[in-house]
Amino acid sequence: MTKYFGVAIDDIFNSMAERFRPEGAADVDVKVGYDIREFGKRKLVISNRKMSLEKTDDLSDCNAVIKTDERTFVGVTVGKIETMEAIIALKFRVKGDQGVLALLPRLFLKLSTQEKDVKQEQELLVLKKVISVKQKFATGPVMGKFLKGLKEEKVLAIKCPECGRLQSPPREVCAICRVKNTEWVEVGPEGELRMLEYCYYASPDPLTGETRETPYGAIGVLLDKCKDEEVFWHLLNPAHLDRVKMGIVLGEKVIKGTRLRPVWSENRTGSINDIKYFEIAE
Amino acid sequence: MRSNAMKKEKDFDINNCYTISGKLALPYTYFAGRTGSTFITHIRDNKKIMGVRCNHCNKVFIPPRQTCEKCLSMISDNWVELENQGEILNYTVVRYDDNHLPRKAPFILAMIKLGKADTPVIHIVEGISINDVKEGLKVKAVFAEKTTNTILDIDHFEPV
Repeated sequence: MTKYFGVAIDDIFNSMAERFRPEGAADVDVKVGYDIREFGKRKLVISNRKMSLEKTDDLSDCNAVIKTDERTFVGVTVGKIETMEAIIALKFRVKGDQGVLALLPRLFLKLSTQEKDVKQEQELLVLKKVISVKQKFATGPVMGKFLKGLKEEKVLAIKCPECGRLQSPPREVCAICRVKNTEWVEVGPEGELRMLEYCYYASPDPLTGETRETPYGAIGVLLDKCKDEEVFWHLLNPAHLDRVKMGIVLGEKVIKGTRLRPVWSENRTGSINDIKYFEIAE
Repeated sequence: MRSNAMKKEKDFDINNCYTISGKLALPYTYFAGRTGSTFITHIRDNKKIMGVRCNHCNKVFIPPRQTCEKCLSMISDNWVELENQGEILNYTVVRYDDNHLPRKAPFILAMIKLGKADTPVIHIVEGISINDVKEGLKVKAVFAEKTTNTILDIDHFEPV
């Protein structure tokens, strides 16, 4: 018999009767099927604070069936493999009532492995904390004007007097022509999706300190009146993440992106969060 | 030069200048390590302050560390119980308030050399006015009633 992590799978099933805790099984009436590849099927019946285990091929009347392979089953039982990891790796599946996973540890004492008997684990200290740091961002005259525009539901861009490009959020100076930007233009507020990034890193929002839900969409919107690379960066309504299409211009080939419109916050304070996010306009 | 700067200041439209309040949350996980965990759990459970001895250099370190800083040999198993009393080698008075500080200002932070130890440990000193604290003052540890699993399981030191 092959042993995994120093334990044979038969040891687990054969010791179930002695590891059973009747006090944990009060009010429990459940049938759990084990379908273990290359090993076979077992049916565990728990009712009236008693358990029975039988070898059978018929698991159709079980509340839940655990489908896995020998190694994963032993690993999960002795705690050498994380159940969630095995589930994500599709090596461990529960068909039917998922609640049995939480129930089983209550019903049985842990199978003691030799390793654990010998060595007493030292208590290791881990501290989890969240520090909150207050900060202030100074807008300056140019960004201040832009943010005040958002308060009035307007998106303002600043125009370079030499090359004519629009920048939003605005910069005091056009970094290409090295001249001071002067003219303000109202753009958008609707536009076309040009860039979408799926973000899986739960970055904290520097204005609220709250961690963002993932995945979220960071988007570049080409607002009306803007052209080429003059995209405006913001967030996408998370519900629309999988329903949008990016637009692109490749030489003569033009693919139109999804039309988006901003959703304005009710309480606007003159910050970038005055736009909650963009959503599909049609 | 100066007039030039003033002229620029005049052009500068401050009507649109304001500040936006932000808040940065920094989630972190601190792992005390094997040696650090033993140190803290001894304070918490036994009210004992432990150091580690380097048998080669004949020095006792606190806070405990895994290797001797002088000869680099492994010393993390040579635990020595220290006295709960010691003397102030040096001190400072913290005079500003901030979220991360353990007390309201002003309070005393001192380097305290405990009996049997060769290195000082930094901790809060209470029970004496900031004007009366001096080098060489004998202090003893007061243990916290509620554990936080940190060095603050010694709540503070106070004059003997």
